[in-house]
Amino acid sequence: MAEDFSVEGMLDMYLFENRQLLEKLQETVLDQKDADCFDEDAINEIFRTMHTIKGSSGIMMFDEITEVSHKLEDIFYFIRESHPENVPHVELVEHVLEVADFINSEMDKLEEGGTADGSAKEIVANLNTFLASLKGENKEEIIKENVHQAPTQFYIAPMATASSHFFRIFIRYAPDTIMANVHAYKIVFALKDLAEDLLHYPEDIISDESSGDYILENGFKILLQAQCDMEKLQEIIQEGYEITKVEMEEITPQIFQMGLDAFGISADSIIDLDSSVEDITKKEKDQAGAIAPGMFVLPPQGQEAKPAEKKEFAPGDFVIESKGPGKSKKLAKDKATKQDKTSYISVDVKKMDQLMDLIGELVISQSVVLQNQDLKIPGLRLDNFNKAAGQMVKISTDLQNVIMSMRMVPLTNTFQKMNRIVFDVSRKLGKDIEFQMIGDATEVDKNIIEHISDPLMHLVRNAVDHGIETTEEREAKGKKQKGKVTLSARTESGKVWIGVTDNGKGLDRKKILEKAREHELLDPTRLDSSYSDKEVYQLITLPGFSTNEQVTEYSGRGVGMDVVVSNLQAIGGTLEIDSTPGEGSQMLLKIPLTLAIIDGIVMQVGSNTFVIETGAVKEFINIREDSVIQKPNKEEFVMIRGEGYPLLRLGDWYGIADCETDVQKGMIVMVEADKECFCLFVDKLIGKQEIVVKPIPDYIKKVQGLTGCTQLGDGRIALILDMAALLEE
Amino acid sequence: MKILLAEDDFVTRKFMTNFLSKYGECDVTVDGMEAVDAFMMALEMEEPYDLVCLDIMMPVMDGYQALMGIRNLEKERGIAPENAVKVIMATALNDEKNVKMAFDLGCTIYSGKPIDEARFEQALQKLGLIE
Repeated sequence: MAEDFSVEGMLDMYLFENRQLLEKLQETVLDQKDADCFDEDAINEIFRTMHTIKGSSGIMMFDEITEVSHKLEDIFYFIRESHPENVPHVELVEHVLEVADFINSEMDKLEEGGTADGSAKEIVANLNTFLASLKGENKEEIIKENVHQAPTQFYIAPMATASSHFFRIFIRYAPDTIMANVHAYKIVFALKDLAEDLLHYPEDIISDESSGDYILENGFKILLQAQCDMEKLQEIIQEGYEITKVEMEEITPQIFQMGLDAFGISADSIIDLDSSVEDITKKEKDQAGAIAPGMFVLPPQGQEAKPAEKKEFAPGDFVIESKGPGKSKKLAKDKATKQDKTSYISVDVKKMDQLMDLIGELVISQSVVLQNQDLKIPGLRLDNFNKAAGQMVKISTDLQNVIMSMRMVPLTNTFQKMNRIVFDVSRKLGKDIEFQMIGDATEVDKNIIEHISDPLMHLVRNAVDHGIETTEEREAKGKKQKGKVTLSARTESGKVWIGVTDNGKGLDRKKILEKAREHELLDPTRLDSSYSDKEVYQLITLPGFSTNEQVTEYSGRGVGMDVVVSNLQAIGGTLEIDSTPGEGSQMLLKIPLTLAIIDGIVMQVGSNTFVIETGAVKEFINIREDSVIQKPNKEEFVMIRGEGYPLLRLGDWYGIADCETDVQKGMIVMVEADKECFCLFVDKLIGKQEIVVKPIPDYIKKVQGLTGCTQLGDGRIALILDMAALLEE
Repeated sequence: MKILLAEDDFVTRKFMTNFLSKYGECDVTVDGMEAVDAFMMALEMEEPYDLVCLDIMMPVMDGYQALMGIRNLEKERGIAPENAVKVIMATALNDEKNVKMAFDLGCTIYSGKPIDEARFEQALQKLGLIE
């Protein structure tokens, strides 16, 4: 039934507006949480927001929401009017957030088609105490009371159609029945007592005598919407003397909405009625401004001063000019919803994914066409073909871009949520923490947002809980009392980089190693000192690892970091941990910006084809043999413009037979990963092409340095190289 | 309580009459024009209605026109807004523009159809029409 609710215009509007208001409110509040008090603008904004929510909730008759917003409005009214001193600011912030949370959770229920049944008693009581304490401290001032106007208008949402049942009834009369139409009418009449809506065919059974014959021949059909169950109907319509057959079945509202088409009959009069409603609207639009006959000329007196908006309807638009049989209301309702849905539509993410996959397939089959073997026959004139192909490539690129952009969402909301977490956790733990966001407008794929919310939450909690020291510890270390957590995002070389940085105590190498030994996560033959810092920090991402002795409410239950990493891996991301003892740590998430299609350089090694993402390539170089230097341990370096870069021969690395070994005959590709450059040696370059990244199938064991594979135009499989992984080697 | 109902569709009318009769004596009209006439008549006889229930889509004169007519009649007679009759618009037209227009024209309760009886009663209580 949730769908029935989502098309309910008023409720939608209510939820949408209030959600936006609350989001804005939360932003304002969190923005000023560290200040000594709210500034005037913020106070006014919160007051106005609560006033608006109170008003609309009053009309919608959501009493609890009305009540809490009313109370909070009172508090801010008092603050605005009396400017009390010594307002416990943080407490106030908490109250505002508590109210916002309550309203949000109630709206969640409404959105899912439930009722707003939460009780706000506790919150209201808290707010009352708070207000009383505020007033108590400022006794000497004359306190103006906030005057409330009880709502005078109410909106009642239509009842959930869940309780209405829809029936399709088919009745056949004995062939010798006289005046079957009158018998049919008797049934219709009996049903009218129960019916919320009723349609029947033939429609005219009263004045049209020939309908009797029609009924005898084809039977009598009824569509009924009622609150009763089928048994009740069976009592009314019983097989008997004239009635030879009754078929009754319950149908869905959708089928019911189809009207008599549900029987496979097109009822002319209904179609007429529909178009006539349209005509009315159209006619009315044509003679815009002209006063419809029967209209009382007097400006409407608006109770609340709302800005006049362009009215598409006016009184008089809804006059039914010729009242036909059947139900006109249903039709009008359908029309109204259709008109509303022009500006935005929400799409199932699955469908978007499907579309993305299809585009991927399209790109592959495009390259199959454009690089077809048949085109390589010498002497073919391909001018026209190439022209057409160019056009097609352009369109498919545009198509990709559009679809990508449809899926792109800014990180702002996700980051804002983290702000809230920092506030909540730091308050609970008694730490004073500043939260900074950098680059929150960075846009990433919707899929990524869904996957990083949880990992990010873990990391932020960890930073606040484990990273930042308590105030006393910080003081003892001579650090600034206030801790700082920074959340940053940027896009670079086709990846999103999201960093969680804190200026806390940093990771404790010794402790991690100790713990790892304890859990037998380390190789017992290796010495502690043989582990690099990076390796040590990566240990904390292993399952079942937690360094904090004290398990707190927020983190440190030993799950977390490993979940973070596995979540990231699901979207092809990685986690990098960096830390300086005493100064803080940084968790850096690197996630590929788009998951499906990349721009790549295709090259050949022996009989194998490899792809490197174009963004990672710095340059292609031909070198002389004497620029290659071999170290005693067989590691090779290439000297380019006086600088040495490590050289990796792809053919040797993957053990490919018949690959080029002479550096002068092959090609050197200089690539960059993690700000470090190194060189790859390949046999030859094939070209630049759009590459659809497909995951390497599970049955192939994990190969170091590969992120995926793709199909080329000639049907061959190419392997996509992961620069960062190659660099590690 | 005196109630006036304007509803053109017989099935709904019957349903609504049954429903409203629980709260008081219910007069029935079939279009907006008749509703305004009935309202006027009651005013003349000094037995005004306490509650008017209007459908929106009706022949001759629609619910909005009837509502304007009723509010204008009241205005002309100098009836204070707090004493004005409570008007319920009951309709299947639920989109925001329609609701807003109804409220701007001075409707008291706007109820979608099918009517949610529990909430309807709640609203009547809030308006002080029933105990």
